[in-house]
Amino acid sequence: MLRTSDYACQYMTHDSPVHRLGVGWKIAISTVLSALAVGARTPGELLALVLVTLAYYFAARLTPFDLWRDTRFFVFQALLVTGLYCLIHGVAGGLWPGIRTSVQIILFYIPGAVLIRTTRTGDMMRGLRKVVPYRLSFLVFVSIRFVPFFLRELDEIMAAQRLRGARLLPRQLMNPRNWGDLFHCLLLPLMVRALKTATDVSLSAEAREFGTRKERTFFDGSRHAETASEALNSQQPPSPVVLQPCCHGSAAKKKGIS
Amino acid sequence: MTHANERVFLWRRFTLREGLLLGFCATFIILTRAGLRLHLHLPGHVMFFTMFFYVLARGCVPKIGATTLVGLIVSLASILLGMGTKGPMVFVKFVLPAVLVDLAGIIYPAFVTGMLACAIVGAVASAVRSVSDIGLEWLSGMEEEIILRKTVISALMFALYGGLGSLAVPSIVRRLRKNGLIDQGTGEER
Repeated sequence: MLRTSDYACQYMTHDSPVHRLGVGWKIAISTVLSALAVGARTPGELLALVLVTLAYYFAARLTPFDLWRDTRFFVFQALLVTGLYCLIHGVAGGLWPGIRTSVQIILFYIPGAVLIRTTRTGDMMRGLRKVVPYRLSFLVFVSIRFVPFFLRELDEIMAAQRLRGARLLPRQLMNPRNWGDLFHCLLLPLMVRALKTATDVSLSAEAREFGTRKERTFFDGSRHAETASEALNSQQPPSPVVLQPCCHGSAAKKKGIS
Repeated sequence: MTHANERVFLWRRFTLREGLLLGFCATFIILTRAGLRLHLHLPGHVMFFTMFFYVLARGCVPKIGATTLVGLIVSLASILLGMGTKGPMVFVKFVLPAVLVDLAGIIYPAFVTGMLACAIVGAVASAVRSVSDIGLEWLSGMEEEIILRKTVISALMFALYGGLGSLAVPSIVRRLRKNGLIDQGTGEER
């Protein structure tokens, strides 16, 4: 069993037929396979669907270990469902319905896992921009962009608080009596940092007139530089920002908007 | 805190600063979910930090829809980061508890400062998350009695962790208010 991914549904860079498919095709295949998983009832149908779903999964050059990573979340559910069926109908009467339902649920989610594992975040984002309003997608991308920043902050705060004697080691946090330190020595300073960062980022964006227009705009640095140099020559203060409304494709390239 | 000269940025109610702060709450939920997924394998434990940050977001931005916005951002970010193991159901499992926290804020705006109120809201909102699987299970032909029992078991686990996570919010909100970092919680709803 080849170990490849670090966590469930991690994007894997491979050159496979599934990777080369467009996002729309992958969503269509996932929808069809998931719908079939819900409708399968007989052992024959279920077996055929298991084979098709696994063929789709391994066509993406994913390993059995990846499959385990993606489906182990559902193992607890499967045990619970099968256990409940056996409890009510006895082992003879409850085993098959329990296993069938558990397999159906797992089969329902596997195509979605293939979609996430074979589609780049950039492609996903491009798709998202088409359906989500730009102001909301801006907040989504900012929250993703700040993940490494706050991870770093978290490490720094944790190191500083540990030096001050806070009980923040993983084995110390297993004891609920130390959870007070977790909230007051780690999460409170982190929240203060978030408040300060939100103020700084919003001031910075608003200084560039971000959000003044309803449509999406782009900060045109080159034009700003031109106006700044003109102002320098004529001893006049430069205009603060240069905004361009949203332009796509060649029109944007012609205007030099990034 | 909303300053007098701030422009409204989203949904005719949130300024850019508030939107960003709520986005950062979503970032923290993603970070804690990613951290927990590597270390713990206890069912329902993800609701501990999720509910903590949901209720804290409501305490920091006491406006209707604040928690729902966090839920929406977490759902979209989870899908983009490959953490949405449940596909489109991610929206239900994140947005539904968030809507409940917002509803609690409408009914009792000062709940973020009361430990009991926070625990109840956290537990109920977390328990509601367990209904996200019912539709699929029913369509798969699972017996109604099994669905009910399974939902009750997972609801209890979610409620336990969600309630515990929410318990820490009042003291943190009080300290942030005392230092003038967030709205003083005058009960004004916008």
